[in-house]
Amino acid sequence: MSLSPEPSALLQGTLDLLILKSLASGELHGLSISRRIQQITGGTFVVKPGSLFPALHRMEEEGWTSSFWGGSENNRRAKYYRLTKAGRKQLEAESKRWSRISWAIAQALEVS
Amino acid sequence: MRLYVKARSFLRNLFLTERVEQDLGLEVHSHLQLLIDENLRAGMSRQEAQRAARMELGGAEQVKQQVRERRLGESLHSWITDCRFGARQLYKNPGFTLTVVLTLALSVGANTAIFSLVNALLLKRLPYAHPERIGTLYEHVTSSRGSFDFRTGVDGEKWELLRDNTPALISAVSGSTSGVNLKAGSRVQYVRNNRVSARYFDVLAVQPIRGRNFSEDEDRPNGPKVAILTYGLWQNVFNADPGIVGQTILLRSEPYLVVGVLPQNAITPSNADVFTPLQPSRSGEGSGSNFTAVTRLRDGMTWQEADAQINRAWSSLGQEFEKNSSGAKVTYYSVPLQKGVTDWLRPQVLGLMLAAGFILLIACGNLAALTLMRMLRRTSEVATRLALGASSWQIQRQFWVENLLLALLGGAVAIGVGFLALRGLFLLLPPRFLPVASVSLDARVMTFTMIVSVLTSVLFGMFPALVVRRVDLRSSMDGRGAVRAGGIRTRQSLIVGEVALTVVLLSGSGLLIRSLIHLETLPPGFNPTGVMVAKASLDDVRYHDPVAFRRLLDESTAAMRQIPGVVNAAVGLSLPYEGTLNDGVRIRDGQEAGAQAGTDLIYVTPGYFEVLQMPLLAGRFFTDADGPDTQHVAVVNQSFARKFYSGTNPVGRYINKDTMIVGEVADVPLSSSLFPIAPLMVEQTMYIPSAQVPGTYLGLIHVWFQPDWVVRTAGPVAGLTAEMQSALAKADPNLPASGFYRMKDLLTRTLATQRIEVALLGAMAALALLLSTVGIFALVANMVAQRTREIGIRMALGSTVGRVMLQIGRSGVSASLAGVVLGLALSAGALRVMTSVIYGVGVYDVTTIFVVVLTISAVTLLATVLPALRIASIDPARTLREE
Repeated sequence: MSLSPEPSALLQGTLDLLILKSLASGELHGLSISRRIQQITGGTFVVKPGSLFPALHRMEEEGWTSSFWGGSENNRRAKYYRLTKAGRKQLEAESKRWSRISWAIAQALEVS
Repeated sequence: MRLYVKARSFLRNLFLTERVEQDLGLEVHSHLQLLIDENLRAGMSRQEAQRAARMELGGAEQVKQQVRERRLGESLHSWITDCRFGARQLYKNPGFTLTVVLTLALSVGANTAIFSLVNALLLKRLPYAHPERIGTLYEHVTSSRGSFDFRTGVDGEKWELLRDNTPALISAVSGSTSGVNLKAGSRVQYVRNNRVSARYFDVLAVQPIRGRNFSEDEDRPNGPKVAILTYGLWQNVFNADPGIVGQTILLRSEPYLVVGVLPQNAITPSNADVFTPLQPSRSGEGSGSNFTAVTRLRDGMTWQEADAQINRAWSSLGQEFEKNSSGAKVTYYSVPLQKGVTDWLRPQVLGLMLAAGFILLIACGNLAALTLMRMLRRTSEVATRLALGASSWQIQRQFWVENLLLALLGGAVAIGVGFLALRGLFLLLPPRFLPVASVSLDARVMTFTMIVSVLTSVLFGMFPALVVRRVDLRSSMDGRGAVRAGGIRTRQSLIVGEVALTVVLLSGSGLLIRSLIHLETLPPGFNPTGVMVAKASLDDVRYHDPVAFRRLLDESTAAMRQIPGVVNAAVGLSLPYEGTLNDGVRIRDGQEAGAQAGTDLIYVTPGYFEVLQMPLLAGRFFTDADGPDTQHVAVVNQSFARKFYSGTNPVGRYINKDTMIVGEVADVPLSSSLFPIAPLMVEQTMYIPSAQVPGTYLGLIHVWFQPDWVVRTAGPVAGLTAEMQSALAKADPNLPASGFYRMKDLLTRTLATQRIEVALLGAMAALALLLSTVGIFALVANMVAQRTREIGIRMALGSTVGRVMLQIGRSGVSASLAGVVLGLALSAGALRVMTSVIYGVGVYDVTTIFVVVLTISAVTLLATVLPALRIASIDPARTLREE
């Protein structure tokens, strides 16, 4: 699934959560974040740069991530992102919320 | 914490935009490189890797744009960018920008100036406490001839009834404001004195800061002579002397005791310098409607209750009125003081607002055409931006921002224009013409200016905004711009509207100009050249004595006759072109025998008629033999004879107690106080010798009128005014002349309103004409520019320059013609409202219409031929090559 340029609020929240999760284990640059999301969702979500970059920059403005320039493999310069303390808290809160929502929907679908 | 981070990002995005953009560019570029590396590692060739990477990226610019749109502070940033871009566009097109700003400035500026007047006269609240509780009295008269409303004049009897029978009101009356001589110590000063009744300042809620108000006792007939000074007078003449209350000053050569000083910024309807008690009675001044009333509503009462009380109090007078005027009914009602004081100006000022509105509409027409042209020129830019992903809204917003910048700029300059216009207006106006102290550009006026400017720009900005939506990408991008025949039609209809409004304004000013000319060229009935006038105030207790009065006149005229170069000298209470005293007269014989009527009354010294060279139609002029103890005589004018004796010879007839008419003179135009139907008119007038003026009149008439000393000279005399002053001083050293005038000056003073109307409306008509001409010029010039290719082809195919010019010019001429027809039709209806202010011409005056049509035709021709001349310079070969 590639996200359209104008994601709905729900989709935007989902993308944020996935980015936060992928950064939980360490700092990554943009491409790596995209690949990691692809990996941890078992290939379901393929985030194109058109959606990734706006999300990354917005989250940095919100204070959940911070960025720095560093060297990558092949010694290319790339922009890396890491979680801030506020970001970790946001990840926790969003995870809990998502669990609640998905449990509720699952329940609703079980009812005949 | 998060707020701090967000704020920091916001500021960073706004002020370090370049660095942020650079960073973003690097990041996207690096992303692309990483993608390529990834693909290379996966085994693709370099070329494949690059292609796949680019496809996955999806376009670097688009990605960056996505980031930009969601950036914090982006909306503000895009507004700022639009403003900067707009400003640069305007700067790069100085012709367009200047034309628009100038057009806006002139048209909005005219509105600003007029609105300042409206604001000062009609909108601003009077600077009194609770101005809505201060009122004046109006009467509503219904008769067979229609109904009229006007401010009530109050006489002594009416005043007493009002004062005693209207508990809902605090009432006061005031008399005229006149110039008198103030003597304080050794200083002699000419000041304005307003006589008011005891509770006048209570009505205005003005309390003296020193001393006290007048008491009821001081306001009775023959009561003590006291005075209240204004703050300004106290400062200037008495140097703010703290002991002023209790001192005596000389007004009119009589001692007055100062009892109070008014506060610094106290404003009164008369703006006099010193106030004295009116001491009204039913006789003398109080026998005629010479007072004006002001009232204050007491707390807890309503105006309806007050009106009911007033009508009850004056019911007997109302009945008498009805008896005398065969069925006309009169009712009285209260009106806010503001209205009472400014009412006579209201129709003029509102008319001017309408004219200013017309100018604004015409300006809008021009501006719409201008912006339309400019938008059409920019279609290639628009198309490119659309192709790059801008939304239609973003592009429209850009244009709105440019319009807004123009509006703000235009509005700012308009305030300057309005300011200058007001200054110019006040140069034209005689002092104290307007019933307000000053007219300024206050906050309300400036807000009005800005709002009008912005609305105008919205109006003319809407045109191109509609165009943007229908831009055809391909044909616009090749730079030619769409040649839209529809655009020409729209602009032609704009021209029709502009010309129509111009016709209305031109016709209106034409009528006013003809009225003014008519009034200024009324047959004078005397010889106005070679005459010099000096005015002096005889409102002085010494001249209540007829003997002293006669001696002054005799000695001063004799002294003036001694001046070398002076042929003759005389004195008269008033002169032609001036306002005149009126009095009752009883006709004793002839067909109107027994009638009691009104007439103008002027006392004159022997020689008055000779000095003015008024023709004697019958009988004789006055001589020195006509003295206080001989037969009372009078000279009447032609209108008098016509009105009371059907035009037969009035000589030998008797009027009043035993006055015999001894002569008849020609009519002269004057400013009537009997039945003013025009600012200058002829009316029944009665002249009496100054030696025979009843002593009781002397105290009264000089309060209202300053007599005139007239001399006739054979040729120009150097230093004449100084000589006249010293001649006056020979008879009375304490009598300064208050002014020197030529007859023309008196005429100008009386016609001040008319002259201002002509100046204002004429200026606006001229502006409208200019704007319309520019509009026509622009239309034709633009057609030539747009159709250059077509013209080149036509000429290459054999058409002559002349024929092509005719074809192109026809669009401008036909629009103008349609406008003239429409305008004349509009004028037929619209100008009828002017019947009350034009004299000597009808509303459908042929000369005016003819001149207006001629003027418009001339400018249309000019505006069409000049740009069409460019056709002659079009080289057909070159235009064909540009295909």
